Amino acid sequence: MKELNIDNQPWLSMSRTVKITADGIRYRLFRASVTVAVIVVAVAFLMNILSESLIKRSIAGNTRERIQKSLLNSVWASKLTSPGSPESIITETAALSPNDDLYKETMGFAKLDAQGMAEFQAIAKKTNYIFEFFDNLDYAKRRDLIHTSEGVDILNYLSEPENMKVFNLGLSRYKSIQFDLSQEELDALLAQLPKLEKTIAQILESRKEANTKIIHALREKLPNANNDAERLSMALPNADKEFGDFIRQTGFVFNKETVAPIVAEQAKRLQDTTRMKNSIKDRPVRQLIAQEANILPADVNDVMMWDFLDNEKFAKRYIEKMAESGQNVEGLTPELLVSLAKGRKEAEALERAQRLTMDAGKGFMGLGERLAWLLCVSMLVCGIGIANAMMMSVTERFTEIATLKCLGALDGFIMIMFVLESCFMGVVGGTIGAIIGALIGLFRMLSSFGVNFISAIPVMDVIMGMIVSIILGTLLAAIAAIIPSWKAARLAPMEAMRVE
Amino acid sequence: MAENIATEQAKSPGNKNADRRIIIRTVGLKKSYMMKDVLTQALRGVDIAIYQGEFISVMGPSGSGKSTFFNMIGALDSPTVGRVFIDEVDVAQLTAEELAYLRCHKIGYIFQQYNLIKYMTALENVTTPMAFGGVMPDEARDRGMEILDLVGLKERWHHRPIEMSGGQQQRVAIARSLANNPSVLLCDEPTANLDMHTGQEIIDILVRLNTQKGVTVICATHDHRMMNICDRLMWIRDGQIERIANREDVHIELASIDDDKK
Repeated sequence: MKELNIDNQPWLSMSRTVKITADGIRYRLFRASVTVAVIVVAVAFLMNILSESLIKRSIAGNTRERIQKSLLNSVWASKLTSPGSPESIITETAALSPNDDLYKETMGFAKLDAQGMAEFQAIAKKTNYIFEFFDNLDYAKRRDLIHTSEGVDILNYLSEPENMKVFNLGLSRYKSIQFDLSQEELDALLAQLPKLEKTIAQILESRKEANTKIIHALREKLPNANNDAERLSMALPNADKEFGDFIRQTGFVFNKETVAPIVAEQAKRLQDTTRMKNSIKDRPVRQLIAQEANILPADVNDVMMWDFLDNEKFAKRYIEKMAESGQNVEGLTPELLVSLAKGRKEAEALERAQRLTMDAGKGFMGLGERLAWLLCVSMLVCGIGIANAMMMSVTERFTEIATLKCLGALDGFIMIMFVLESCFMGVVGGTIGAIIGALIGLFRMLSSFGVNFISAIPVMDVIMGMIVSIILGTLLAAIAAIIPSWKAARLAPMEAMRVE
Repeated sequence: MAENIATEQAKSPGNKNADRRIIIRTVGLKKSYMMKDVLTQALRGVDIAIYQGEFISVMGPSGSGKSTFFNMIGALDSPTVGRVFIDEVDVAQLTAEELAYLRCHKIGYIFQQYNLIKYMTALENVTTPMAFGGVMPDEARDRGMEILDLVGLKERWHHRPIEMSGGQQQRVAIARSLANNPSVLLCDEPTANLDMHTGQEIIDILVRLNTQKGVTVICATHDHRMMNICDRLMWIRDGQIERIANREDVHIELASIDDDKK
């Protein structure tokens, strides 16, 4: 008969472990699918929130960009006619990079060389920090520190040694306030105050000069208009042509490729829009809309007009009516009217998107405090659900586990078997959940923002989010399975002898 | 002193096992459980020596401590007092890994409820202990088929437990217990859930293993046919050995059973 020499039991290979686990899951497919469903719901919730916040954030950025672009016309309109304030110049300059057009323009107006401009910007940045610092303070603290001074006056105020003492005293008193500039930096900044003021004065002077030139030229060219603003709005559609050249002559850096065409286009649209808005004054035109909307002609307003103008057939009839009532329809085509109406809608959508994305990007992972908290709770509930399911799985399989141990299974094998089982379900549930969550998020976002934001969806980010969700779901399942697995591994093999 | 009893028993004149090797020996085995703050004595000092190649039947009413005794000699549980030697190795001295090795290679377990793994085929059930023992899959497969052939289930190797009758399941269970050529087979009422005929088949297989392969069989049973073919009988009552007797010293009436068979 054989010798009894006791050895250490070897570990079972991973592939065998995986196979045994997979067979076990297949045998209890229904139970497993219920557990998977729990994971699916939790991960779908996570992924949904994640994808929505990602999409929202991206749309917010996209919206900001598009709104900024759509405002280019009005920005230039005001820039060409008014020199601005010292504070706006400082804030503007602080945000610039040396490649920006505005950087070169400011350099030109300030009559500085590259070195001087860099210095000026450095001062502007620090000054802007001070502006922001005081803007974020509440009234009481602000008054305590700098009394009622505002803008550049803050620096003038702080230049007085007496006031500086009060300011420092106040700072040391308010422990919660974080002021980033050291005393030396602040002193250096105050020392450069005359230079700063001189530069700004120079910029304002140059700008004023340029503005005057433009206004005079416009008055000469368009003597019949009612006021300067109207003259400018009449001239700006030519911004990509000779008027643009004239703007450049006066010292503004008005980029021929990137800015001028957009400004001209927007100015033209604005002109057309105003023209259309005025067109409903005439009775035949009003009647057309009144017929269509089934209301009295007197109640017709321009909002209704835009609502109806988004189809070409109606636009064509509308232009005919305009001509009938003696209005100038030169340059108006049905396509143009439809595109104007669409543009209005887009502007509305942008506005709505801006409102809806106000809260984007704040709080934990850009989710906002409440959602982050909700997410934690849902993950916890899911974890407990998985732990419960695994616990039941262990209880149900007492005999099986004990038998395996009688057959020579190590505790570690039993533990790995159950953790693996949970991980399998985590991967499957996580994948399904991530896909469902991403789809729901996508549809919800598209339905609230509309299809013209489809290009703003951050596909890569969403895919990364899905991968993260799957990993999180698997991790959660693995962690939730640890206690039940440990319980299974510790089970005494003599349970196998028990007769049920 | 307790140790003496076991050795004395082995050396006592007239014992036919005197010249054989002791495979399992217990010394002053005691086990007590705390059940609802009441100390229950399951075993109150059991000393026995079981010899290699022996077929021994263990009897006793439920609650007699029979199961506890089985757990002790099967290295499934540790005694409160006393020691268990499996081939002169003190089980209490072994680490968890060594215990697993012992259960895997030295002892085969056969349960009343068969305890087959439900999601595995007959062959997989048989090869699982081999896998735990580190046997390569191909070799395990060949050996598994051999053993299944031995219990007459070669044709049904791919069937799952649910597709087999109780007798067939028990035969798979026996095949599984033989996977790593154990020295000892521990059977916990292997025929209790089976009808007369299939019960007889199981008994036949066990006897064949005992006589042909020299496997030590320790069998808890109430089945008279089992008692009829064993070498020794052992009665446990109230956690103590009530009586040990050689087969020839006991009269067992089997007439009615033989009538049934014919």
